[in-house]
Amino acid sequence: MKKWMCMNCGWIYEQEVGDPEGGIAPGTAWEDIPDDWKCPDCGSLKSEFDMVEI
Amino acid sequence: MTVMPRLEDLEDKSFDPFLVEKLSTGDCPDPYPRIHELRAQGPVVDGSYRKQFTDVPDVQMGHLPQVMVLGYDAVMKVLTQPDIFRNKEAFENNLGRSFGNTITVMDAPIHTRFRKIFQKAFLPQVVAQWGESVVDPVVNRLMSTFIDRGEADLIEEFTHHYPFQVIYAQVELEPSQAPIFHKLAIAQILSSIGAPQGPEASAKLGTFFGGLLVEKRQNPGTDLISHLATVEVDGERLPDDVLISFLRQLMNAGGDTTYRGTSVLLTGLLTHPEQLAAVAADRNLIPQAIDEALRWEGPVTSTFRYAAQDTEIEGMPIRKGTYINTVLASANRDPRKFENPDEFDIFRSRSTRHIAFASGPHLCIGQHLARVEMTRALNAILDRLPNLRLDPDKPAPAIKGHLLRVPEHLWVKFDR
Repeated sequence: MKKWMCMNCGWIYEQEVGDPEGGIAPGTAWEDIPDDWKCPDCGSLKSEFDMVEI
Repeated sequence: MTVMPRLEDLEDKSFDPFLVEKLSTGDCPDPYPRIHELRAQGPVVDGSYRKQFTDVPDVQMGHLPQVMVLGYDAVMKVLTQPDIFRNKEAFENNLGRSFGNTITVMDAPIHTRFRKIFQKAFLPQVVAQWGESVVDPVVNRLMSTFIDRGEADLIEEFTHHYPFQVIYAQVELEPSQAPIFHKLAIAQILSSIGAPQGPEASAKLGTFFGGLLVEKRQNPGTDLISHLATVEVDGERLPDDVLISFLRQLMNAGGDTTYRGTSVLLTGLLTHPEQLAAVAADRNLIPQAIDEALRWEGPVTSTFRYAAQDTEIEGMPIRKGTYINTVLASANRDPRKFENPDEFDIFRSRSTRHIAFASGPHLCIGQHLARVEMTRALNAILDRLPNLRLDPDKPAPAIKGHLLRVPEHLWVKFDR
């Protein structure tokens, strides 16, 4: 399975969960997340995420 | 074939560094009533966290200007503003002296560069493969020593050993060298208080790890040291001094915290038998049980940052040059974020993340490995120790310590 993962901390974005505390509603597709959104765990930018095989 | 370097013991073989561990953890039975009182005073309170609980002088930090930052939002502001609240000055005279040029003692931009390389060796998909190959054999070996008895002290006989033995397995340490390794890992902490055994231990561990890196680069495997010795990001490898410093820190940052976290997890479940039964019946509950244990009794209650400029937290001024006791435990038991925060409840809402692993750029780099280890350990215990329960003839487990929390004993019975 492929997921978007923060390369600075390993946090994984789950589309069905989203990031409500960060203003991302559950179900939000990765492409629709704004570029200035930050990793909720370590604060890295969206650009620091890579698609990885889990 | 890998030819392992040998570790040298301290010159003074009678020196006992483990005494310092007792001094640093203390025996405070419950710091949380005091933490709640402090948080009620406001987000910023003058003084040191440690001084709330012990009269033992703090030779490293006691003379420095200090405040405590308390409550979830205030603590998050400290952890997620690394330009203002820095690590270098906070840790260079304690962890920096013990371990060397470790990433804990760095700030951006150099921290950002090296952190990304280290993290690559600790990403979830990397550490997952160590569960079966490294963690399970250690767990099974330790459990085999008591499984036929129908009773055990899960701290003395299990949790106090397994994370360290996982590290020994990762560095392929000869079993006869393990006691020296553990002793040197503890002794190096004494650098920060000026004991000559501290730098001696740091140097001897450095020589050992330096030799190990040479060997692993010649004969790399799938183990942690091979990953770290060869991992690259954008063509850049880790410098040896940074890598050796990281490995020096591994026993404390990776071994000690996992021992404490697992002990607290088992204590929480065994003192709440209905929750233990639920997890035993549905292993999908294990991740939330781990998170609740870490929120409820996080292994590290407070960490430091340094104010690099005049600033404020929720309107409370903090002067440049102040050392910030960032009280993680006050955040994880903040009633504004967690209902009935002093209760252990694996079914509580998870809408607010706990910060036992901290937050921001210095978030625990080994959290995914810790989760793998705790999951493997708990699964093995639930699989192999049927009808697990507290031993009614022994004292109930008591989690102690104002800074680093753990119970000394966890006496259990189970069916054979």
